[in-house]
Amino acid sequence: MTSVLGFTVFGVDWVFLKPYIVLGLALGGVYALSGVGIVVLYQATGVLNLAFGAVGAAGALIAYWMINHTSLPHWLAYTACVAFGGIVNLLYGVLFGPAFAKRDPLVKMMGTLALTLILLGIMAWRAPAGGAFVRVITLPTTNHTYELFGAVVNLTQILALAFAVVLVVGTTAFLRFTRLGTAYRAIADDREITATLGVPVRRVEASAWLGSGIVCGASGLLLADLFTSLDYAALTFLVISSLAAALIGRLRSLWVTFAGGLAVGVVQAILTPYNSVTNYRSATPFVLSIIMLLWLARRRVIVFSPSTR
Amino acid sequence: MAVAEAGDRRNWPAAVGLAGPRNIVRAVATVALLAIALFLIPATLGGDWVNTFTSVAIYSVVAAGLVVLYGRVGMISLGQIALLAIGTWTATRLSYATNIPFPLLILITASITCVIGVLIGLPALRLSGLYLALITLMAAGAVNVVLGAIDFPNGGGGFTGRTAVVNLSGLEPVNRPSGAGGDIAYYRYVVVVCALMFLLTLVHFANKPGRAWATIRESEPAALAAGVNVTLYKLWAFALASFITGVAGCLLAAEVGRPTVYGFPTQDSLTMIATALIGGIYTLWGAIVAGVFMQLVPFIFQAEWHINPNFLLIIFGIGLLQVLLTAPGGLVDQFPKDMAKLGRAIYGLFRKATGAVRRSG
Repeated sequence: MTSVLGFTVFGVDWVFLKPYIVLGLALGGVYALSGVGIVVLYQATGVLNLAFGAVGAAGALIAYWMINHTSLPHWLAYTACVAFGGIVNLLYGVLFGPAFAKRDPLVKMMGTLALTLILLGIMAWRAPAGGAFVRVITLPTTNHTYELFGAVVNLTQILALAFAVVLVVGTTAFLRFTRLGTAYRAIADDREITATLGVPVRRVEASAWLGSGIVCGASGLLLADLFTSLDYAALTFLVISSLAAALIGRLRSLWVTFAGGLAVGVVQAILTPYNSVTNYRSATPFVLSIIMLLWLARRRVIVFSPSTR
Repeated sequence: MAVAEAGDRRNWPAAVGLAGPRNIVRAVATVALLAIALFLIPATLGGDWVNTFTSVAIYSVVAAGLVVLYGRVGMISLGQIALLAIGTWTATRLSYATNIPFPLLILITASITCVIGVLIGLPALRLSGLYLALITLMAAGAVNVVLGAIDFPNGGGGFTGRTAVVNLSGLEPVNRPSGAGGDIAYYRYVVVVCALMFLLTLVHFANKPGRAWATIRESEPAALAAGVNVTLYKLWAFALASFITGVAGCLLAAEVGRPTVYGFPTQDSLTMIATALIGGIYTLWGAIVAGVFMQLVPFIFQAEWHINPNFLLIIFGIGLLQVLLTAPGGLVDQFPKDMAKLGRAIYGLFRKATGAVRRSG
């Protein structure tokens, strides 16, 4: 299908395409990162967290404020962003998780929608986006650039991808080899029976909220850097790209989610130099996940619904 | 929690009979509301207010679509505002391209939106709740990207015309119906059309589709077993919701005159479902409350009190949590109950007081 004739791909020079692939891999790494966070939380608690983007964006705004309006060291601001993600998610999980525990997955998801609205409201109120004023977060690692395969890569981009790999490997090992990981898998299987066997279900779920929240804060920070501007609305709805990754992984497989995240990132970036479709490239995650949903529904089965398992 | 769980399934309005005392109250309330909307509001309020109430009517029709989809059939759509945008786009383009009379424009727009809505809804036949919600969210995002990329709706001559002027100034506004060109006349026109859409929905609720939807919502396997054509009636619900949303889109196009893509952010689709749930997703009264929350309340905050209405999102979020956890019927269900409780409490106090007086006398 791909007509690689010499050094052009569909009429665009290969050399010209390479930086987009690098950018796509980096963004894809972050999508994969948050996708994995979404999948683990969904498996452990049955909550599909739509607030993932909003929490990350709010964390990044806090980091931005600390960098530009206080004299605190920058690393503290970055830590605050990651910690904010963890704390907000944990609070939501502890306060509302038990109340939603026995409800339909749809209702659980609507609950996180409420969290999204609350955070959006706070961000729009306290940090309104205004005209030409653009907020920027530049991580110190962004200034380190390397040349890889003829394309310029910065350290943040490498770190984004590396984080994603580490997270997938780490989470897979965690789920398989630790007691807590076994508890996660048991809850994903049957919450009631797991509780009967003496696993402190609520504490285990709280740990899942905390873990996914930390991932969420980290990806918010990385996205704020990679996207060059810190627009809270855009960051909030980037959750859709991560959702696409999670859906490609059928909300189950971490490795397929990882691959899905990279695919979404690369496809989106690689379309940039093609004039006919470049304006539509931000629709990539939507289109990919719609295709995926339709593919999953090709037979009349109620797909991966925990209640019918 | 037990209350909320029971409410998920059992929060049904009383069976629709025609002459019950509740229906008489409802009929009186409806007539009073229509009278206020048609005569009192334009007579007493200024131009901005009238325009805002036009928007309230339009968005309450969008919310009515959600009442059909979620309240009756149990399918959630996170993309109704994108559908509204499609309706507005279609109406705008048709208005620039042709000279058809406004009622016909409404019908054509609604039919096109209806077809698109059904196409989006097709996967609903196979996907369960959560995934349907996601696919509509994705579709909303995709529609937004496409409308942004093609400079929605960017009027110019003909069906595909474009203007080079960025802020669309100097562009002819979308035609309003003849005889209703002024804001107040157009407001009345919108209220009447919206009331007709509510009536159309009510007719559905009271007849065979309404019963079929209720069965599907309670249990799809049971509906199948009872011989309900689940495929047909789910698609019918999508068709109805999309049709009335298309009507709303057409009305909105003529209200705004020169619509832009910025009027339809993805965020609004989320606010829409939140306000519809807060208002009360199980009855059409809730849809009206949702329209008020979407348009009137932000207007009051911004224009009258000079407070950034974005802060309302926080309240909507909290309200949504409240509805999901403790009050599934929303404001229209909860408010009268709370008022009745308050009334009983006051009456109790009154009885005690008079009793005490009588005893001492």
